Amino acid sequence: MPWDLVIFYMLAGVCILAAGGVVAASNPVHSAIFLVICFFNVAGVFVMMGAEFLAVIQVIVYTGAIMVLILFVLMLVDPENLPEFHQGRPVQRAVGVLLGIILLLEVSVAILNRQVIGVKGNATAQAIDAVGGNTQALGRVLYSDYLFAFEVVSLVLTVGVIGAIVLALPERLGLKTLPRRGTISLGHGKGIDAEAIAMGPVEEMPMQPVAKDVIPKATGGRRLVMVKDPDEHTGAK
Amino acid sequence: MNVLLVGMAYMTYYERKVLAAMQDRMGPTRTGPHGLLQPIADGIKLLGKEDLIPKAADKPVFFFAPLIVFVTAICSVAVIPFGNQITVFGEDIQLTIASLNVGALFLLAFSSIGVYGIILGAWASANRYSLLGGLRSAAQVVSYEIILGLSLVGIFMLSGSLNLGDIVHEQQRALEIGPFSISNWYILSQPLAFVLFMIAAVAETNRAPFDLPEAETELVSGFHTEYSAFRFSFYFLGEYIAMIVISLFASTLFLGGTDGPGSDHFGLGILWLLLKTVLFLFFYIWLRATLPRFRYDQLMGIAWKVLLPLALLNIVVTAAVRLATN
Repeated sequence: MPWDLVIFYMLAGVCILAAGGVVAASNPVHSAIFLVICFFNVAGVFVMMGAEFLAVIQVIVYTGAIMVLILFVLMLVDPENLPEFHQGRPVQRAVGVLLGIILLLEVSVAILNRQVIGVKGNATAQAIDAVGGNTQALGRVLYSDYLFAFEVVSLVLTVGVIGAIVLALPERLGLKTLPRRGTISLGHGKGIDAEAIAMGPVEEMPMQPVAKDVIPKATGGRRLVMVKDPDEHTGAK
Repeated sequence: MNVLLVGMAYMTYYERKVLAAMQDRMGPTRTGPHGLLQPIADGIKLLGKEDLIPKAADKPVFFFAPLIVFVTAICSVAVIPFGNQITVFGEDIQLTIASLNVGALFLLAFSSIGVYGIILGAWASANRYSLLGGLRSAAQVVSYEIILGLSLVGIFMLSGSLNLGDIVHEQQRALEIGPFSISNWYILSQPLAFVLFMIAAVAETNRAPFDLPEAETELVSGFHTEYSAFRFSFYFLGEYIAMIVISLFASTLFLGGTDGPGSDHFGLGILWLLLKTVLFLFFYIWLRATLPRFRYDQLMGIAWKVLLPLALLNIVVTAAVRLATN
């Protein structure tokens, strides 16, 4: 029994079903969960191809970090604010389905008539084992031949992170930051507390006396009884 | 795996006894001799409780979320080297379930997946406080995962391999310090990485002093608020298994794993590994008993502003030293 093939079909099958689930799920969080399942199976396929390092990195980076952050955003979205599913005029929907089918046919024709041209690389199984495994092979190539590309990619990522932070700074959004008090911060140090900021810095806030009718009487009109003896108003006496 | 499950159950007992001793009291003493049957009693109680599911909860996700935490923690044990090879009844058995050449990263990968258990459980509970607690916890775990990974880069540089079996072998070589010849444990050559790893490990498993998402919001709720009975126990025990797994991982990486006198000839390696793991677990419980917990913004601030630069510094220094001595 060719176990390799069975396992590959299982992995690929679940992956495709999960990918279908991403598109078909009505709840975005369910879509994200299906995508995670899909990525996990792709990592399995990587392992089958002998690229274990890539598989583990796929799980750590893509599934374990990027999807978690995407889920953060998706979970904070109110389901009622999402666009309606299956919306649109019937003509639009029919054209959409037609285009999808045409694309599927094109891709199938391309796959079935493929010819592999090009030179096989020198990363044969023996060459990889000679340097000690796929991690070492990747490391050798990445840090020697492709070092420049590696550095450029890290620079791009750094710029992205800095850009995101700069875009979200409170000063940028037009709000003043509160001056930090010397005491325990209530978490509003640089926070977006619109009313407090509109009132100005801390020292200038005047004490406003509260009008008597603003705070309702706590008792609501009931008679307040101060009881000193627990048995006084029960039936135990 | 059976050993792990029993170990996890008795880890709860160990924790209660040690916490009690540190707090000058006795801990469980009534159930069984010296309270040894307490985890069994807890298990029976948890199994017998009513399983409540909130009406607005998302049932499939609610069902699977605690399982993710539990299963990924147990799967991570597959790469820990418990020894080399033993012959039982004429058959050679490898004492490492899966000697992967990316073993250390495999463990990190599975702990990354464990985050999903928290975040999906929080969302599926249909409870705003759960969601916020879960998001906080997930953000904490993701931040400290980075530090966990970076603190290990120094070790990977020194050992030249990600395979945990190879790392243990490298540590069994002798290191000469003056007239003494001791094993080359990485705690000696990477002390900063060890400290960073321990801090990150405690934060990864949401343990004190980093348990704000579990404890403070627990006063209101927390990501496991809507989980009762056995589902809650999945989260709870999943956390303990994660603690045990990270302690095993730390003993393998920094304290030489199965290294110790008698490990070659008498096969006492696994005993040494367990001893070191118990030491780390004691350290975990000690931290819980002693330190007050961090506020959430302090916690995240420490991760990104203090520990991350230190981890990078560790990598640079290790690389420089290795370059200079070769």
